[in-house]
Amino acid sequence: MTQHPATKLRGYLVSWCVLLALLLVTLGTAYLPLGWVNTAINLMISVTQAAIVLLFSMHLRSAHPTLRIVAASGFFGIAILIGLSLTDFLTR
Amino acid sequence: MSSVSLGHQENYLAADFRLWSWLTTLDHKRIAILYTVSITLLFFIGGSAAALIRLDLLTPHSELVSIETYNKLFTMHGVIMVWFFLIPSIPATLGNFLVPLMIGARDLAFPRLNLLSWYLYVIGALFAIESLIAGGVDTGWTFYTPFSTLFSNTHVFAAVTGVFIAGFSSILTGLNFIVTIHEMRAPGLTWFRLPLFIWAMYATSLILVLATPVLAMTLVLVTVEHLFRIGVFDPALGGDPLLFQHLFWFYSHPAVYIMIVPAMGVASEIIGCFARNRIFGYRFMAYAMLAIAAFGFLVWGHHMFVSGQSAYAGTVFSLLTFLVSVPSAIKVFNWTATLYKGRISLEAPMLYALGFVGLFTIGGLTGLFLASLGLDVQLHDTYFVVAHFHYIMVGGAVMAFFGGIHFWWPKITGRMYSDRWARIAAIVTFIGFNLTFFPQFIVGYLGMPRRYPEYPPEFQIWNVLSSSGAIVLAFGYVLPLFYLFWSLRHGPRAPSNPWNAKGLEWQTSSPPLPENFLRTPVVTEEPYAYATQRSSDG
Amino acid sequence: MASAAPPLAPQFDDVEQQRDASKLGIWIFLATEILFFGVLFAAYAITRVNHPAAFAAGSRLTDVSLASINTAVLLTSSLTMALGVHAAQSGTPRATVGWLAATVALGTAFLVVKAMEYRVDYIEHLVPTVNFFYPGPQSGQVELFFYLYFVVTGVHALHVFIGVAVISVIAYMAWNNTFSPEYFTPVDLTGLYWHLVDIIWLFVYPLLYLISRS
Repeated sequence: MTQHPATKLRGYLVSWCVLLALLLVTLGTAYLPLGWVNTAINLMISVTQAAIVLLFSMHLRSAHPTLRIVAASGFFGIAILIGLSLTDFLTR
Repeated sequence: MSSVSLGHQENYLAADFRLWSWLTTLDHKRIAILYTVSITLLFFIGGSAAALIRLDLLTPHSELVSIETYNKLFTMHGVIMVWFFLIPSIPATLGNFLVPLMIGARDLAFPRLNLLSWYLYVIGALFAIESLIAGGVDTGWTFYTPFSTLFSNTHVFAAVTGVFIAGFSSILTGLNFIVTIHEMRAPGLTWFRLPLFIWAMYATSLILVLATPVLAMTLVLVTVEHLFRIGVFDPALGGDPLLFQHLFWFYSHPAVYIMIVPAMGVASEIIGCFARNRIFGYRFMAYAMLAIAAFGFLVWGHHMFVSGQSAYAGTVFSLLTFLVSVPSAIKVFNWTATLYKGRISLEAPMLYALGFVGLFTIGGLTGLFLASLGLDVQLHDTYFVVAHFHYIMVGGAVMAFFGGIHFWWPKITGRMYSDRWARIAAIVTFIGFNLTFFPQFIVGYLGMPRRYPEYPPEFQIWNVLSSSGAIVLAFGYVLPLFYLFWSLRHGPRAPSNPWNAKGLEWQTSSPPLPENFLRTPVVTEEPYAYATQRSSDG
Repeated sequence: MASAAPPLAPQFDDVEQQRDASKLGIWIFLATEILFFGVLFAAYAITRVNHPAAFAAGSRLTDVSLASINTAVLLTSSLTMALGVHAAQSGTPRATVGWLAATVALGTAFLVVKAMEYRVDYIEHLVPTVNFFYPGPQSGQVELFFYLYFVVTGVHALHVFIGVAVISVIAYMAWNNTFSPEYFTPVDLTGLYWHLVDIIWLFVYPLLYLISRS
């Protein structure tokens, strides 16, 4: 990592602010009557927040590809578990 | 029992004879032996359950045991054989011993986690044995809800806890192998110079770390529901029993690949050596195991075709199941091609390995029948299924495990055993196995349900054949105990490379030093660089 | 007063190999944690698909203010953790201890707020099999929602508790000058675990508390 320490510190603070802002958005939009779109927004924000934490706080942005694949495989696994199971439950 | 001195160096067995040194060892080779002793014990417990089952099935009415006891017998047989024998078998014994040796390392990446994984296995096994002694479990090894959560009054909690704890043993082993293989290969040992056994351990470890946590949490949910009488698997409150089945099989289908992929790795090592040939299609063999590991996560619904799962989902899972058979088929073709124009010799390990290829093929092909939705309606929950998975698990995985034990015995113990007796054992096992399980294909197709202690009298002939075969098979399994133990005292001392095999493990002494190699080897050769009579084909 | 050269375990060839192995090891462990929680998310998803109205009703009965505060607390603890790792890497033990202690405090605060939340749930008769009461036709399914609510937040809280304990130990090690720019791996790995616990909560929060607030 060749970043200057001060840059990294600023990066953490910026991430934190963005994450808190997204928290306010997800909480705020929950009070709007948008039906299923509410859940979609919530999940997209969660995914974005997770991505920010993974890439910046957990340093995946600059990590060896192997580590990124390991992280991805965990989420991929959940996706398969829920996705393929839903092919059953949604088509009953 | 005298120590083997190699010059002034002691091998790993002679380094310290105290029991305490074994129980606190960090040496992967000693941990492998600790595992071997444990799983052998559990194998005979699970095998005893099978023996009682086959004895009871000699007659159409359950005359040996009560129906409740019969339910407990097949449950305990499944629980013990799956989680306390097959899943750890090759990875925790041969894998633990060989992975560092084959890649030129001094030990695994995390020796203390390795020792912890054995202790977790033992604690899990104690819970399982406790549930057995306390009266057993009758839910089937599959713990289907709501019977296991709300209605069974047997010792579900203890058994489930045992499996839960043993699961963490699996995860630690897998984690250790992945990190070791990634980070600790000897200089020159690139990925595509790795022995296929290492590829097999790697693919297996991927499944171990990704699938087992799902089982763990599913068992937590079962336990909570069992203890608090409420949960998401109970239809009375709006839960869904099929949710359990989806979660359970998401682990348990990849679990069967945990059980067979290591066997494939063993088979490749043995066949390459005793055909004195390069493995045909090495890269395809490696990729195939990765493909099996990956695709294995997509097919679990084929256990649920008649459970109430939607027909649409059934179709999707059926298609994916057909696809997952392709990499396995490629491997069978390649093992066969490896034999072509080889200089084949039929020592005991080779007999086991060849038996593996043939029996695995039969088991795999019968899986295709079960993958067909229409056929499965007829065959589901019959003895056809039982025969199918025993052909793969026993005819496949266990034969390969025995082959591996025989192949690497000189390396592990420093002794040679009687090849004549070993070949007799291999042949007896092969005959006994087929006599036990082939009739089950027939009687299953004719309609005999599984997990039933009673059956119509016209099925008796097949059951008698099967039970007779079981006696022969048992003999085949017990025989190695005798000549292998005998070899520890009286067998001739083994040279470093008694089979003249390729692979780094054969470049060091038999038994190896505690730190494996005097000097870290440097690899310059392609794997399986046996002199071949085939014209080289890239 | 930084410590001497980092300890090298005998199975490794050099410190770099040891560090790379540790990082890969922890990430694999994190992947197992993701799948471990994945089961709970799957159970939630499928039960909610089957009973959307009951889940909406149940969610409305949860305490969104406490949960939102807790989310902010956990996000902030992630920041302090990241700053703690940074301080360890920079070889400033006092700052390291400070930031880690802050993380412990915030993590503990999360658990305290959660306890408060559970107490409110108990008072409002929302604890399944203990005192659950829901005046409505879908009582059973709402009870299922709260069953999942307690299991998911309970398992998560357990992970927070373990994290707080481990970070405390790491903070103590930092106080004893164990870490240096050449060796701060335990802090790094603990940080990764803590961030994952945070990520899991970022999904739990909207799925349990924000289903039907409008």
